Amino acid sequence: MSTLDVLVQQVVNGLALGMMYALLALGFTMVYGIIELINFSHFSVFMTGTFVGLVVLELMGVTAVSKSLTGFALVSTLVVLFLATMTTTGLLGVLIERICLRSLRHVAGTAPMITTIGVAFILINAMLLIWGPQAQRFPQLLPNWRWAVGAAEITFKQVVLFVVGLVLMLALSHLVQRTTLGKAMRATAQDADAARMMGIDVDRVVVLTFFLGSALAGAGSLFFGLYYGFTGYYIGYTTGLRAFTSAVLGGIGSIPGAVLGGIFIGLTQSLGGQLLGVKWTDVIIFSLLIVVMVFRPNGLLGARIPQRA
Amino acid sequence: MNRRMLVATTALLALVVMLAGFPPGSAAQGKVVKIGLSLPLTGSDADGADAILKGAQMAITEINGKGGVAGYKLEAMVFDSATPAAGQYDPAQAATNYKKFIADSLVMAAVGPVMSGEGKAISPILSEADMATITPSSTNPDITDPKLQAQYRPKGKAVYFRTVTTDAFQGPNMANYLFHAQKVKSVYVLDDGGAFGVGIADSFQKRAGELGVKILGRDRLDPKEADYKTILTKIKGLNPDALYYGGVMQAAAKLAPQSYEVVPRVIKAGSDGVYDLSWPKQSGKEAVDGWFCSQASPELVTSPKLEAWVTKFKKEMKRDPTNYAITSYDAVLVIADAVERTVKANKPITRTNLRDAIQATKLGSIQGPIAFDANGDILTRTVSIYQWRDGEIKYVSVAPEK
Repeated sequence: MSTLDVLVQQVVNGLALGMMYALLALGFTMVYGIIELINFSHFSVFMTGTFVGLVVLELMGVTAVSKSLTGFALVSTLVVLFLATMTTTGLLGVLIERICLRSLRHVAGTAPMITTIGVAFILINAMLLIWGPQAQRFPQLLPNWRWAVGAAEITFKQVVLFVVGLVLMLALSHLVQRTTLGKAMRATAQDADAARMMGIDVDRVVVLTFFLGSALAGAGSLFFGLYYGFTGYYIGYTTGLRAFTSAVLGGIGSIPGAVLGGIFIGLTQSLGGQLLGVKWTDVIIFSLLIVVMVFRPNGLLGARIPQRA
Repeated sequence: MNRRMLVATTALLALVVMLAGFPPGSAAQGKVVKIGLSLPLTGSDADGADAILKGAQMAITEINGKGGVAGYKLEAMVFDSATPAAGQYDPAQAATNYKKFIADSLVMAAVGPVMSGEGKAISPILSEADMATITPSSTNPDITDPKLQAQYRPKGKAVYFRTVTTDAFQGPNMANYLFHAQKVKSVYVLDDGGAFGVGIADSFQKRAGELGVKILGRDRLDPKEADYKTILTKIKGLNPDALYYGGVMQAAAKLAPQSYEVVPRVIKAGSDGVYDLSWPKQSGKEAVDGWFCSQASPELVTSPKLEAWVTKFKKEMKRDPTNYAITSYDAVLVIADAVERTVKANKPITRTNLRDAIQATKLGSIQGPIAFDANGDILTRTVSIYQWRDGEIKYVSVAPEK
């Protein structure tokens, strides 16, 4: 492989990685946009999603030693897998909001945020108890097809990751920009009290936001499992922290910002690893974050400075 | 409670605490010698630790079955040294466990730790207490290096004994093997950032360099990271003959499948850190196949001399043994032998006397003769090479020493 081919390969790797971060970052950004809460339990919802995916696949008779699927079997399995997992993680998000966060909605300060950290630990330990501490293999149902781009190659997994991710993001963007529900969400984000006075059921909007964010995290967790072929109770932290960084980098509260931030972090990770070394990955990512924050405190696309009355 | 009573209660409590902690291990207390076992029984290295624990337990059961040693029964005190936060061994937890051993006046010696990262944390604690531990598996040479005495045994005397040899031989001998037997001319070196992983990767890299093998690069994996495709793509671009990984299972569980996908044709080698019977289950059989690994001991599991032992272990412990289950069994025999010699010499069983007796060990054990140098390292320095084939670990040969 020539240097150019390696760089092309790292860009492909970085884009796939960035797509996963972006899906996860969307959940952070949406919840923050609506109720200005940094929801750290999102890390763990993502992690739990990988195990939900494992169970769903097992119910469908797909295990770690199964052969990869093709054709109709593959498409139908994927559709069921994504629907079931995203619904489950979405409901998990709703449950977290209803039980742990709603009563704290009007509590000022960091109490709700700390609560989300607590929820994160509950989920981590629950998965640890159920599945044990070792890495679990995730079934490789996507076939190992590859296409050559020079000496670099694009795998079928990366294509699926990218296409499905893009479709989900376009659907989300359509929902927020073009539907009544989206309008209600945007209104709540701007001013919850005014939205309520206009007859918007704010609680319902918040619940739906949690559902959508967590469902996207569920999709992200399936990408993780299918792409890396394993899961473990501890995977939420590193991936989640980078996704959170993506959201902040892109401008927290901004949906296109989260996507841009995710892809930016994914590319930084793969190109930084190539040019400097993977042991510097976090140093590079967080140094860039600091630089961006110094010059653009609201992130790359976050034009609106949050105003509190 | 009035003031006088408070003073009296406090004084009484202080007295009780003093009595409980003193004198350490008078023989009158029921004729029991407790052996501390601190092992990462959960987390990514749980399978290896389980085998080591069961090796020690088998020895203890056998000795007690024969009525104990010199009138003493042996008793295991077992703690987990892995934490959920680390997902693998945690040096801080190991230190806490050893402090608990030391606080129990009946604990006279310990078997462990499994990992060198734990060893670095506990060795100074043991030195302060003058208590010996015998590790059946941790191989980082720093811990017993006399040059680093001030750091790891401030009181001077050896407290960290091993029934395996060190990475001063394990890493370099794997380099010898890859160079001579596999004709490797270039290599990329990775480690997992742990005390063991960094140390063995360094010693491997140094020896490989001396042999004239081209070192194409060196990088460090974060064991908690999911994505190793970045570094593997970089390695693919450099086109090395071999990839060496110094480290334990948490990173290896992910490195195997991803390297199988990105660099399937590169020769891959690790150390005893990846001699773990649960690896195919964690990473997939086909991904693990072809990996070389090593043991800082002679091959024991398939040795004809140990056939009866292996059969007994399988039957009683309901699992397959590993070489380090056998070195762990031997570690208990060393302690039992030291107890016997101490009693014969009419000395009381104390931590100090037991340490001195362990230092003077000359024992013909099931792995062969065991004797230690002044730093606690075993005098036998055999390193064995293995390869994963069809989901099973197969013994290849003794690693060349040059």
